[in-house]
Amino acid sequence: MMDVKRIISKVEKSYIKSNLKKEERIDGRNLWEYREFKIKSDTIASAEGSADVFLGDTRIITGLKYEIGEPFPDLPDEGVCTIMAELLPVASPLFERGPPDEQSIELARVVDRGIRHADCVQTQKLCIKENEAVYILFVDMYVINYDGNLIDAGGVSALTTLLSAHLPEGKIGDDGLEWTGKYLTGDDLVNELPLVLTYGKIDDIVFLDPSLPEELMCDGKISISVTEDKITSIQKSGAATFSIDEIKDLCKRSLEIGQKLRKELDLPQYKSSLK
Amino acid sequence: MPLIIKDEYPEKLFRKDGKRLDGRDLTDLRDIKLDVGVIKNADGSAYLEWGNNKIFAAVYGPREVHPHHLAKPDRGILRVFYRMATFSVFDRKRPAPGRREKEISMIVADCLEPILFLELYPGTSFEVFIEVIDADGGTRCASTTVAALALADAGIPMKSLVSAVAVGKIDGKRVVDLSGIEDKAGEADLPCAITWYNEEISLLQFDGDMDLEEMNDFLDMAKEALVKIHKLQLEALRSKYVSLTETNNKDEGEN
Repeated sequence: MMDVKRIISKVEKSYIKSNLKKEERIDGRNLWEYREFKIKSDTIASAEGSADVFLGDTRIITGLKYEIGEPFPDLPDEGVCTIMAELLPVASPLFERGPPDEQSIELARVVDRGIRHADCVQTQKLCIKENEAVYILFVDMYVINYDGNLIDAGGVSALTTLLSAHLPEGKIGDDGLEWTGKYLTGDDLVNELPLVLTYGKIDDIVFLDPSLPEELMCDGKISISVTEDKITSIQKSGAATFSIDEIKDLCKRSLEIGQKLRKELDLPQYKSSLK
Repeated sequence: MPLIIKDEYPEKLFRKDGKRLDGRDLTDLRDIKLDVGVIKNADGSAYLEWGNNKIFAAVYGPREVHPHHLAKPDRGILRVFYRMATFSVFDRKRPAPGRREKEISMIVADCLEPILFLELYPGTSFEVFIEVIDADGGTRCASTTVAALALADAGIPMKSLVSAVAVGKIDGKRVVDLSGIEDKAGEADLPCAITWYNEEISLLQFDGDMDLEEMNDFLDMAKEALVKIHKLQLEALRSKYVSLTETNNKDEGEN
Protein backbone atom coordinates (compact mmCIF):
# COMPACT_ATOMS: atom_id res chain seq x y z
CA MET A 1 0.00 0.00 0.00
CA MET A 2 1.24 3.46 -0.84
CA ASP A 3 0.52 6.49 1.23
CA VAL A 4 -1.70 8.67 -0.94
CA LYS A 5 -2.75 12.02 0.45
CA ARG A 6 -4.74 14.87 -0.97
CA ILE A 7 -2.31 17.34 0.52
CA ILE A 8 1.46 17.17 0.17
CA SER A 9 3.35 18.16 3.33
CA LYS A 10 5.51 21.32 3.33
CA VAL A 11 8.61 19.22 3.90
CA GLU A 12 7.92 17.05 0.86
CA LYS A 13 7.04 20.11 -1.21
CA SER A 14 10.29 21.85 -0.44
CA TYR A 15 12.18 18.61 -1.10
CA ILE A 16 10.56 18.27 -4.53
CA LYS A 17 11.23 21.95 -5.29
CA SER A 18 14.86 21.94 -4.19
CA ASN A 19 15.46 18.87 -6.36
CA LEU A 20 13.78 20.50 -9.37
CA LYS A 21 15.99 23.55 -8.95
CA LYS A 22 18.98 21.24 -9.37
CA GLU A 23 17.22 19.84 -12.47
CA GLU A 24 16.61 16.55 -10.64
CA ARG A 25 13.49 14.64 -9.68
CA ILE A 26 12.74 12.79 -6.45
CA ASP A 27 12.49 9.52 -8.40
CA GLY A 28 15.90 10.00 -10.01
CA ARG A 29 14.79 11.27 -13.42
CA ASN A 30 15.94 14.43 -15.14
CA LEU A 31 13.46 17.15 -16.14
CA TRP A 32 12.72 15.76 -19.62
CA GLU A 33 12.58 12.06 -18.92
CA TYR A 34 9.59 9.69 -18.91
CA ARG A 35 9.00 6.91 -16.43
CA GLU A 36 9.05 3.49 -18.05
CA PHE A 37 6.17 2.57 -20.37
CA LYS A 38 5.07 -1.08 -20.31
CA ILE A 39 2.54 -2.10 -22.91
CA LYS A 40 0.51 -5.25 -23.52
CA SER A 41 -2.12 -5.41 -26.23
CA ASP A 42 -5.15 -7.52 -27.03
CA THR A 43 -5.49 -8.87 -23.50
CA ILE A 44 -9.30 -8.84 -23.39
CA ALA A 45 -11.15 -11.56 -25.27
CA SER A 46 -14.54 -9.81 -25.25
CA ALA A 47 -13.21 -6.56 -26.75
CA GLU A 48 -12.43 -5.90 -30.42
CA GLY A 49 -9.07 -4.47 -29.39
CA SER A 50 -7.47 -3.66 -26.04
CA ALA A 51 -4.36 -2.42 -24.29
CA ASP A 52 -2.90 -2.62 -20.80
CA VAL A 53 -0.48 0.28 -20.34
CA PHE A 54 1.77 1.09 -17.39
CA LEU A 55 3.53 4.45 -17.07
CA GLY A 56 5.58 3.91 -13.93
CA ASP A 57 2.88 2.81 -11.47
CA THR A 58 0.05 4.51 -13.37
CA ARG A 59 -1.95 1.80 -15.10
CA ILE A 60 -4.75 2.17 -17.66
CA ILE A 61 -6.67 -0.66 -19.32
CA THR A 62 -8.51 0.31 -22.49
CA GLY A 63 -10.92 -1.69 -24.60
CA LEU A 64 -12.61 -1.18 -27.96
CA LYS A 65 -16.24 -2.02 -28.72
CA TYR A 66 -18.29 -1.12 -31.77
CA GLU A 67 -21.88 -0.66 -32.81
CA ILE A 68 -23.32 -0.29 -36.29
CA GLY A 69 -25.26 2.95 -36.57
CA GLU A 70 -26.20 5.80 -38.84
CA PRO A 71 -23.57 8.41 -39.74
CA PHE A 72 -23.90 12.08 -38.84
CA PRO A 73 -25.85 13.86 -41.63
CA ASP A 74 -22.95 16.25 -42.35
CA LEU A 75 -20.44 13.37 -42.66
CA PRO A 76 -22.46 10.70 -44.48
CA ASP A 77 -19.49 8.51 -45.43
CA GLU A 78 -17.54 8.58 -42.18
CA GLY A 79 -17.64 6.37 -39.10
CA VAL A 80 -17.42 7.72 -35.57
CA CYS A 81 -14.77 7.18 -32.91
CA THR A 82 -15.59 8.20 -29.34
CA ILE A 83 -13.27 8.10 -26.36
CA MET A 84 -14.42 7.76 -22.76
CA ALA A 85 -12.45 7.58 -19.53
CA GLU A 86 -13.36 6.35 -16.10
CA LEU A 87 -11.32 6.99 -12.96
CA LEU A 88 -12.17 3.83 -11.07
CA PRO A 89 -12.35 4.01 -7.28
CA VAL A 90 -10.04 0.96 -7.22
CA ALA A 91 -7.27 3.17 -8.58
CA SER A 92 -6.84 5.64 -5.74
CA PRO A 93 -8.44 6.83 -2.50
CA LEU A 94 -8.66 10.21 -4.27
CA PHE A 95 -11.23 8.86 -6.76
CA GLU A 96 -14.86 8.54 -5.80
CA ARG A 97 -17.72 6.58 -7.24
CA GLY A 98 -20.35 8.23 -9.36
CA PRO A 99 -20.82 9.89 -12.72
CA PRO A 100 -17.70 11.15 -14.56
CA ASP A 101 -16.14 14.17 -12.89
CA GLU A 102 -14.10 17.01 -14.43
CA GLN A 103 -10.82 15.10 -14.26
CA SER A 104 -12.09 12.06 -16.15
CA ILE A 105 -13.85 14.20 -18.75
CA GLU A 106 -10.67 16.22 -19.30
CA LEU A 107 -8.65 13.00 -19.68
CA ALA A 108 -11.06 11.63 -22.29
CA ARG A 109 -11.33 14.91 -24.19
CA VAL A 110 -7.63 15.70 -24.33
CA VAL A 111 -6.82 12.17 -25.54
CA ASP A 112 -9.73 12.37 -27.99
CA ARG A 113 -8.62 15.69 -29.46
CA GLY A 114 -5.03 14.52 -29.82
CA ILE A 115 -6.24 11.58 -31.89
CA ARG A 116 -9.08 13.32 -33.74
CA HIS A 117 -7.03 16.16 -35.21
CA ALA A 118 -4.05 14.05 -36.23
CA ASP A 119 -5.42 12.13 -39.22
CA CYS A 120 -5.07 9.07 -37.00
CA VAL A 121 -8.33 7.11 -37.33
CA GLN A 122 -9.35 6.70 -40.98
CA THR A 123 -13.06 7.31 -40.41
CA GLN A 124 -13.89 6.76 -44.08
CA LYS A 125 -12.77 3.15 -43.71
CA LEU A 126 -15.42 2.83 -41.01
CA CYS A 127 -18.22 3.44 -43.50
CA ILE A 128 -20.22 0.38 -44.56
CA LYS A 129 -22.78 2.19 -46.72
CA GLU A 130 -23.03 5.91 -47.26
CA ASN A 131 -25.87 7.60 -45.37
CA GLU A 132 -26.94 4.26 -43.90
CA ALA A 133 -24.47 2.25 -41.91
CA VAL A 134 -21.15 3.08 -40.29
CA TYR A 135 -19.10 1.69 -37.42
CA ILE A 136 -19.34 3.63 -34.19
CA LEU A 137 -16.23 2.90 -32.16
CA PHE A 138 -16.11 3.19 -28.38
CA VAL A 139 -12.63 3.43 -26.92
CA ASP A 140 -13.15 3.18 -23.17
CA MET A 141 -10.24 3.84 -20.81
CA TYR A 142 -10.30 2.48 -17.25
CA VAL A 143 -7.73 3.76 -14.76
CA ILE A 144 -6.60 0.82 -12.60
CA ASN A 145 -3.88 2.58 -10.58
CA TYR A 146 -3.26 6.34 -10.35
CA ASP A 147 0.30 7.54 -9.90
CA GLY A 148 0.19 10.78 -11.89
CA ASN A 149 0.04 11.77 -15.57
CA LEU A 150 -3.05 9.89 -16.71
CA ILE A 151 -3.17 11.82 -19.98
CA ASP A 152 0.07 10.52 -21.50
CA ALA A 153 -0.64 6.96 -20.37
CA GLY A 154 -4.19 7.31 -21.71
CA GLY A 155 -2.95 8.57 -25.08
CA VAL A 156 -0.66 5.57 -25.55
CA SER A 157 -3.35 3.23 -24.24
CA ALA A 158 -6.04 4.53 -26.63
CA LEU A 159 -3.67 4.46 -29.61
CA THR A 160 -2.46 0.92 -28.87
CA THR A 161 -6.07 -0.19 -28.54
CA LEU A 162 -6.93 1.24 -31.96
CA LEU A 163 -3.86 -0.42 -33.47
CA SER A 164 -4.85 -3.78 -31.99
CA ALA A 165 -8.38 -3.47 -33.42
CA HIS A 166 -10.02 -6.41 -35.18
CA LEU A 167 -13.51 -5.42 -36.28
CA PRO A 168 -15.57 -7.97 -38.20
CA GLU A 169 -15.95 -6.57 -41.73
CA GLY A 170 -19.55 -5.95 -42.74
CA LYS A 171 -21.27 -5.10 -46.00
CA ILE A 172 -24.82 -4.27 -46.91
CA GLY A 173 -26.31 -7.08 -48.99
CA ASP A 174 -29.85 -7.76 -50.16
CA ASP A 175 -30.94 -8.87 -46.67
CA GLY A 176 -29.30 -6.03 -44.80
CA LEU A 177 -26.01 -6.28 -42.95
CA GLU A 178 -23.82 -9.33 -43.65
CA TRP A 179 -20.43 -10.27 -42.22
CA THR A 180 -17.77 -11.13 -44.78
CA GLY A 181 -15.67 -13.22 -42.36
CA LYS A 182 -12.74 -10.84 -42.75
CA TYR A 183 -11.54 -8.21 -40.30
CA LEU A 184 -10.78 -4.51 -40.35
CA THR A 185 -7.57 -4.12 -38.37
CA GLY A 186 -5.29 -1.40 -37.07
CA ASP A 187 -3.50 -1.56 -40.42
CA ASP A 188 -6.64 -0.29 -42.17
CA LEU A 189 -7.80 2.11 -39.49
CA VAL A 190 -4.77 3.94 -38.16
CA ASN A 191 -2.55 6.32 -40.12
CA GLU A 192 -0.68 8.84 -37.97
CA LEU A 193 0.54 7.93 -34.48
CA PRO A 194 -0.12 10.99 -32.28
CA LEU A 195 1.42 11.08 -28.82
CA VAL A 196 0.43 13.43 -26.05
CA LEU A 197 3.11 14.85 -23.77
CA THR A 198 2.24 16.46 -20.46
CA TYR A 199 4.44 18.93 -18.60
CA GLY A 200 4.00 20.13 -15.05
CA LYS A 201 4.99 23.58 -13.78
CA ILE A 202 6.14 24.38 -10.26
CA ASP A 203 7.23 28.01 -9.72
CA ASP A 204 9.12 28.71 -12.96
CA ILE A 205 10.35 25.17 -13.51
CA VAL A 206 8.74 23.04 -16.21
CA PHE A 207 9.22 19.27 -16.37
CA LEU A 208 7.91 16.27 -18.32
CA ASP A 209 5.62 13.48 -17.02
CA PRO A 210 4.64 14.62 -13.50
CA SER A 211 4.48 11.81 -10.95
CA LEU A 212 1.66 11.83 -8.36
CA PRO A 213 3.30 14.05 -5.69
CA GLU A 214 4.53 16.43 -8.40
CA GLU A 215 1.07 16.49 -9.99
CA LEU A 216 -0.69 17.16 -6.67
CA MET A 217 1.56 20.12 -5.81
CA CYS A 218 2.12 21.60 -9.28
CA ASP A 219 0.67 25.00 -10.18
CA GLY A 220 -0.52 23.80 -13.56
CA LYS A 221 0.07 21.50 -16.47
CA ILE A 222 0.22 21.70 -20.23
CA SER A 223 -0.47 18.78 -22.56
CA ILE A 224 0.78 18.92 -26.15
CA SER A 225 -0.19 16.32 -28.76
CA VAL A 226 2.23 15.80 -31.62
CA THR A 227 2.51 13.67 -34.73
CA GLU A 228 5.83 13.09 -36.50
CA ASP A 229 6.09 16.74 -37.61
CA LYS A 230 2.95 18.59 -36.47
CA ILE A 231 1.36 19.83 -33.28
CA THR A 232 -2.27 18.69 -33.20
CA SER A 233 -3.69 19.80 -29.90
CA ILE A 234 -2.79 21.66 -26.73
CA GLN A 235 -4.49 21.81 -23.35
CA LYS A 236 -3.36 24.06 -20.55
CA SER A 237 -4.88 23.12 -17.23
CA GLY A 238 -4.50 24.26 -13.65
CA ALA A 239 -3.94 27.76 -12.31
CA ALA A 240 -0.44 28.30 -13.71
CA THR A 241 0.55 30.73 -16.44
CA PHE A 242 3.11 29.93 -19.12
CA SER A 243 5.24 32.55 -20.88
CA ILE A 244 5.15 32.69 -24.67
CA ASP A 245 8.80 31.66 -24.81
CA GLU A 246 8.09 28.68 -22.57
CA ILE A 247 5.30 27.52 -24.86
CA LYS A 248 7.47 27.90 -27.95
CA ASP A 249 10.20 25.91 -26.25
CA LEU A 250 7.78 23.18 -25.11
CA CYS A 251 6.31 22.79 -28.60
CA LYS A 252 9.82 22.32 -30.02
CA ARG A 253 10.72 19.87 -27.26
CA SER A 254 7.48 17.94 -27.72
CA LEU A 255 8.27 17.23 -31.36
CA GLU A 256 11.77 16.05 -30.44
CA ILE A 257 10.74 13.94 -27.43
CA GLY A 258 7.72 12.64 -29.37
CA GLN A 259 9.91 11.38 -32.20
CA LYS A 260 12.22 9.63 -29.78
CA LEU A 261 9.36 8.09 -27.79
CA ARG A 262 7.57 6.95 -30.96
CA LYS A 263 10.69 5.06 -31.96
CA GLU A 264 11.14 3.54 -28.49
CA LEU A 265 7.55 2.38 -28.10
CA ASP A 266 7.36 1.02 -31.67
CA LEU A 267 3.56 0.91 -31.46
CA PRO A 268 2.93 -0.73 -34.89
CA GLN A 269 4.17 -4.01 -33.35
CA TYR A 270 0.83 -4.20 -31.48
CA LYS A 271 -1.24 -4.44 -34.65
CA SER A 272 -3.65 -7.35 -34.77
CA SER A 273 -2.63 -10.27 -36.96
CA LEU A 274 -6.22 -11.08 -37.97
CA LYS A 275 -7.18 -10.38 -41.56
CA MET B 1 -4.27 -14.33 -30.37
CA PRO B 2 -7.67 -12.90 -29.59
CA LEU B 3 -10.61 -15.11 -28.91
CA ILE B 4 -13.68 -14.31 -30.92
CA ILE B 5 -16.76 -14.85 -28.82
CA LYS B 6 -19.83 -15.49 -30.90
CA ASP B 7 -23.11 -14.48 -29.38
CA GLU B 8 -25.06 -17.47 -30.63
CA TYR B 9 -26.07 -20.65 -28.83
CA PRO B 10 -24.56 -23.91 -30.05
CA GLU B 11 -26.96 -26.83 -30.52
CA LYS B 12 -24.99 -29.18 -28.30
CA LEU B 13 -22.94 -28.29 -25.24
CA PHE B 14 -20.90 -31.51 -25.35
CA ARG B 15 -18.43 -32.66 -27.97
CA LYS B 16 -18.58 -36.10 -29.56
CA ASP B 17 -15.94 -37.43 -27.15
CA GLY B 18 -18.18 -36.56 -24.19
CA LYS B 19 -16.13 -33.56 -23.09
CA ARG B 20 -17.50 -30.04 -22.76
CA LEU B 21 -16.99 -27.49 -25.57
CA ASP B 22 -13.81 -26.13 -23.95
CA GLY B 23 -12.44 -29.66 -23.44
CA ARG B 24 -13.28 -30.05 -19.75
CA ASP B 25 -14.78 -33.07 -18.00
CA LEU B 26 -17.98 -32.67 -15.98
CA THR B 27 -16.31 -31.70 -12.71
CA ASP B 28 -13.27 -29.82 -14.06
CA LEU B 29 -12.77 -26.18 -13.18
CA ARG B 30 -11.46 -23.71 -15.74
CA ASP B 31 -7.87 -22.51 -15.18
CA ILE B 32 -7.72 -20.12 -12.24
CA LYS B 33 -4.89 -17.66 -11.70
CA LEU B 34 -4.84 -15.53 -8.56
CA ASP B 35 -2.53 -12.70 -7.61
CA VAL B 36 -2.55 -10.34 -4.61
CA GLY B 37 -1.19 -6.81 -4.09
CA VAL B 38 -1.62 -5.79 -7.73
CA ILE B 39 -2.94 -2.25 -7.09
CA LYS B 40 -0.37 -0.24 -5.17
CA ASN B 41 -2.70 2.54 -4.01
CA ALA B 42 -5.22 0.21 -2.39
CA ASP B 43 -5.07 -1.05 1.19
CA GLY B 44 -5.54 -4.52 -0.23
CA SER B 45 -6.03 -5.83 -3.75
CA ALA B 46 -6.24 -8.96 -5.81
CA TYR B 47 -6.49 -9.96 -9.46
CA LEU B 48 -8.07 -13.07 -10.85
CA GLU B 49 -8.15 -14.81 -14.21
CA TRP B 50 -10.73 -17.57 -14.23
CA GLY B 51 -11.06 -18.94 -17.73
CA ASN B 52 -11.69 -15.78 -19.73
CA ASN B 53 -12.91 -13.80 -16.72
CA LYS B 54 -10.51 -11.07 -15.67
CA ILE B 55 -11.37 -9.27 -12.44
CA PHE B 56 -9.68 -6.74 -10.15
CA ALA B 57 -10.72 -6.23 -6.54
CA ALA B 58 -9.47 -3.41 -4.31
CA VAL B 59 -10.21 -2.79 -0.63
CA TYR B 60 -10.10 0.58 1.08
CA GLY B 61 -10.69 0.80 4.81
CA PRO B 62 -11.37 1.08 7.61
CA ARG B 63 -12.11 4.67 6.60
CA GLU B 64 -14.63 7.42 7.19
CA VAL B 65 -18.13 6.74 5.88
CA HIS B 66 -19.49 8.83 3.01
CA PRO B 67 -22.36 9.73 3.15
CA HIS B 68 -22.07 10.13 6.89
CA HIS B 69 -25.59 9.00 7.81
CA LEU B 70 -24.75 5.42 6.74
CA ALA B 71 -22.28 5.07 9.62
CA LYS B 72 -23.31 2.79 12.45
CA PRO B 73 -22.26 3.76 15.99
CA ASP B 74 -21.76 0.18 17.17
CA ARG B 75 -20.09 -1.44 14.15
CA GLY B 76 -18.33 -0.88 10.86
CA ILE B 77 -20.11 -1.35 7.57
CA LEU B 78 -19.02 -3.31 4.51
CA ARG B 79 -19.88 -1.89 1.12
CA VAL B 80 -19.23 -3.73 -2.12
CA PHE B 81 -19.38 -2.14 -5.56
CA TYR B 82 -19.37 -4.63 -8.42
CA ARG B 83 -18.93 -3.05 -11.85
CA MET B 84 -18.39 -4.36 -15.34
CA ALA B 85 -16.26 -2.58 -17.93
CA THR B 86 -18.14 -1.52 -21.07
CA PHE B 87 -15.94 -3.82 -23.17
CA SER B 88 -16.16 -6.88 -20.91
CA VAL B 89 -19.20 -8.35 -22.67
CA PHE B 90 -20.30 -9.11 -26.24
CA ASP B 91 -22.59 -6.09 -26.67
CA ARG B 92 -21.09 -2.93 -25.21
CA LYS B 93 -22.46 -2.39 -21.72
CA ARG B 94 -23.75 1.06 -20.88
CA PRO B 95 -21.25 2.87 -18.64
CA ALA B 96 -23.70 3.64 -15.81
CA PRO B 97 -24.27 0.87 -13.23
CA GLY B 98 -27.38 -1.18 -13.97
CA ARG B 99 -29.80 -3.16 -11.83
CA ARG B 100 -27.85 -6.40 -12.27
CA GLU B 101 -24.64 -4.81 -11.00
CA LYS B 102 -26.40 -3.37 -7.97
CA GLU B 103 -27.94 -6.72 -7.08
CA ILE B 104 -24.63 -8.56 -7.40
CA SER B 105 -22.91 -5.89 -5.28
CA MET B 106 -25.46 -6.52 -2.57
CA ILE B 107 -25.30 -10.32 -2.56
CA VAL B 108 -21.49 -10.27 -2.56
CA ALA B 109 -21.52 -7.85 0.40
CA ASP B 110 -23.97 -10.10 2.26
CA CYS B 111 -21.75 -13.07 1.47
CA LEU B 112 -18.53 -11.46 2.76
CA GLU B 113 -19.92 -9.77 5.86
CA PRO B 114 -20.03 -12.90 8.08
CA ILE B 115 -16.27 -13.42 7.83
CA LEU B 116 -15.35 -9.93 9.13
CA PHE B 117 -15.26 -8.64 12.72
CA LEU B 118 -17.15 -5.46 11.87
CA GLU B 119 -18.04 -4.85 15.53
CA LEU B 120 -14.36 -3.97 16.10
CA TYR B 121 -14.60 -0.93 13.79
CA PRO B 122 -17.57 1.24 14.90
CA GLY B 123 -18.33 4.25 12.75
CA THR B 124 -16.14 3.22 9.80
CA SER B 125 -16.58 1.56 6.45
CA PHE B 126 -14.74 -1.03 4.42
CA GLU B 127 -15.21 -0.53 0.73
CA VAL B 128 -14.58 -3.31 -1.76
CA PHE B 129 -14.46 -2.29 -5.41
CA ILE B 130 -14.75 -5.08 -7.94
CA GLU B 131 -14.00 -4.34 -11.60
CA VAL B 132 -14.82 -6.98 -14.17
CA ILE B 133 -12.56 -6.25 -17.13
CA ASP B 134 -13.44 -9.35 -19.16
CA ALA B 135 -16.48 -11.56 -18.52
CA ASP B 136 -17.22 -15.14 -19.53
CA GLY B 137 -19.76 -16.63 -17.14
CA GLY B 138 -19.62 -16.99 -13.37
CA THR B 139 -18.48 -13.45 -12.61
CA ARG B 140 -20.38 -13.23 -9.32
CA CYS B 141 -18.58 -16.31 -7.99
CA ALA B 142 -15.24 -15.18 -9.34
CA SER B 143 -15.83 -11.71 -7.83
CA THR B 144 -16.61 -13.16 -4.41
CA THR B 145 -13.49 -15.31 -4.53
CA VAL B 146 -11.21 -12.43 -5.52
CA ALA B 147 -12.84 -9.95 -3.10
CA ALA B 148 -12.19 -12.30 -0.16
CA LEU B 149 -8.56 -12.44 -1.23
CA ALA B 150 -8.32 -8.64 -1.43
CA LEU B 151 -9.74 -8.35 2.10
CA ALA B 152 -7.12 -10.79 3.34
CA ASP B 153 -4.40 -8.86 1.49
CA ALA B 154 -5.55 -5.68 3.28
CA GLY B 155 -4.72 -7.36 6.58
CA ILE B 156 -8.24 -7.01 7.90
CA PRO B 157 -9.03 -9.50 10.71
CA MET B 158 -11.10 -12.31 9.21
CA LYS B 159 -12.60 -15.54 10.50
CA SER B 160 -11.70 -17.31 7.27
CA LEU B 161 -11.73 -16.92 3.51
CA VAL B 162 -14.78 -17.32 1.31
CA SER B 163 -14.73 -19.34 -1.92
CA ALA B 164 -17.44 -19.43 -4.55
CA VAL B 165 -18.31 -21.50 -7.60
CA ALA B 166 -21.31 -22.20 -9.80
CA VAL B 167 -22.66 -25.66 -10.52
CA GLY B 168 -25.42 -26.37 -13.01
CA LYS B 169 -27.09 -28.57 -15.55
CA ILE B 170 -26.31 -28.49 -19.27
CA ASP B 171 -27.82 -30.85 -21.84
CA GLY B 172 -29.20 -32.86 -18.91
CA LYS B 173 -25.81 -33.44 -17.27
CA ARG B 174 -24.56 -32.01 -13.97
CA VAL B 175 -21.41 -29.92 -14.34
CA VAL B 176 -19.15 -27.67 -12.27
CA ASP B 177 -18.11 -24.10 -13.16
CA LEU B 178 -20.28 -23.05 -16.09
CA SER B 179 -18.68 -20.97 -18.83
CA GLY B 180 -20.50 -18.06 -20.48
CA ILE B 181 -22.08 -20.18 -23.22
CA GLU B 182 -23.02 -22.99 -20.81
CA ASP B 183 -24.61 -20.46 -18.49
CA LYS B 184 -26.73 -18.95 -21.28
CA ALA B 185 -27.67 -22.16 -23.10
CA GLY B 186 -27.82 -24.56 -20.13
CA GLU B 187 -30.87 -25.52 -18.08
CA ALA B 188 -29.85 -24.72 -14.52
CA ASP B 189 -27.29 -22.52 -12.76
CA LEU B 190 -26.59 -22.55 -9.04
CA PRO B 191 -23.90 -20.14 -7.81
CA CYS B 192 -22.88 -20.73 -4.21
CA ALA B 193 -20.19 -19.65 -1.76
CA ILE B 194 -18.88 -21.14 1.44
CA THR B 195 -17.44 -19.48 4.56
CA TRP B 196 -14.68 -21.80 5.69
CA TYR B 197 -14.72 -20.99 9.43
CA ASN B 198 -18.03 -22.82 9.82
CA GLU B 199 -18.22 -24.48 6.39
CA GLU B 200 -21.64 -23.00 5.76
CA ILE B 201 -23.20 -21.56 2.63
CA SER B 202 -23.06 -17.77 2.47
CA LEU B 203 -24.20 -17.08 -1.09
CA LEU B 204 -26.84 -19.08 -2.87
CA GLN B 205 -28.91 -18.35 -5.92
CA PHE B 206 -30.62 -20.69 -8.30
CA ASP B 207 -32.35 -20.46 -11.65
CA GLY B 208 -33.70 -23.47 -13.49
CA ASP B 209 -35.48 -26.63 -12.48
CA MET B 210 -34.30 -29.71 -10.65
CA ASP B 211 -35.60 -32.42 -8.36
CA LEU B 212 -34.58 -33.10 -4.78
CA GLU B 213 -31.98 -35.75 -5.60
CA GLU B 214 -30.32 -33.41 -8.12
CA MET B 215 -30.20 -30.57 -5.61
CA ASN B 216 -28.46 -32.78 -3.02
CA ASP B 217 -25.95 -33.90 -5.62
CA PHE B 218 -25.31 -30.33 -6.77
CA LEU B 219 -24.41 -29.14 -3.29
CA ASP B 220 -21.96 -32.04 -2.82
CA MET B 221 -20.34 -31.31 -6.20
CA ALA B 222 -20.02 -27.65 -5.28
CA LYS B 223 -18.33 -28.48 -1.97
CA GLU B 224 -15.74 -30.60 -3.76
CA ALA B 225 -14.91 -27.81 -6.23
CA LEU B 226 -14.82 -25.20 -3.47
CA VAL B 227 -12.11 -27.12 -1.62
CA LYS B 228 -9.90 -26.83 -4.75
CA ILE B 229 -10.57 -23.09 -5.05
CA HIS B 230 -9.82 -22.52 -1.36
CA LYS B 231 -6.41 -24.16 -1.84
CA LEU B 232 -5.62 -21.81 -4.75
CA GLN B 233 -6.61 -18.79 -2.64
CA LEU B 234 -4.35 -19.83 0.23
CA GLU B 235 -1.48 -20.46 -2.20
CA ALA B 236 -1.90 -16.98 -3.72
CA LEU B 237 -1.75 -15.34 -0.28
CA ARG B 238 1.26 -17.40 0.73
CA SER B 239 3.16 -16.77 -2.51
CA LYS B 240 3.18 -13.01 -1.85
CA TYR B 241 5.17 -13.59 1.34
CA VAL B 242 7.37 -16.22 -0.26
CA SER B 243 8.42 -13.73 -2.93
CA LEU B 244 8.93 -11.02 -0.27
CA THR B 245 11.21 -13.29 1.72
CA GLU B 246 13.15 -14.20 -1.39
CA THR B 247 13.81 -10.56 -2.27
CA ASN B 248 14.76 -9.79 1.35
CA ASN B 249 17.24 -12.66 1.42
CA LYS B 250 18.68 -11.50 -1.88
CA ASP B 251 19.07 -7.93 -0.61
CA GLU B 252 20.82 -9.17 2.53
CA GLY B 253 23.09 -11.35 0.42
CA GLU B 254 24.11 -8.35 -1.69
CA ASN B 255 24.83 -6.23 1.35
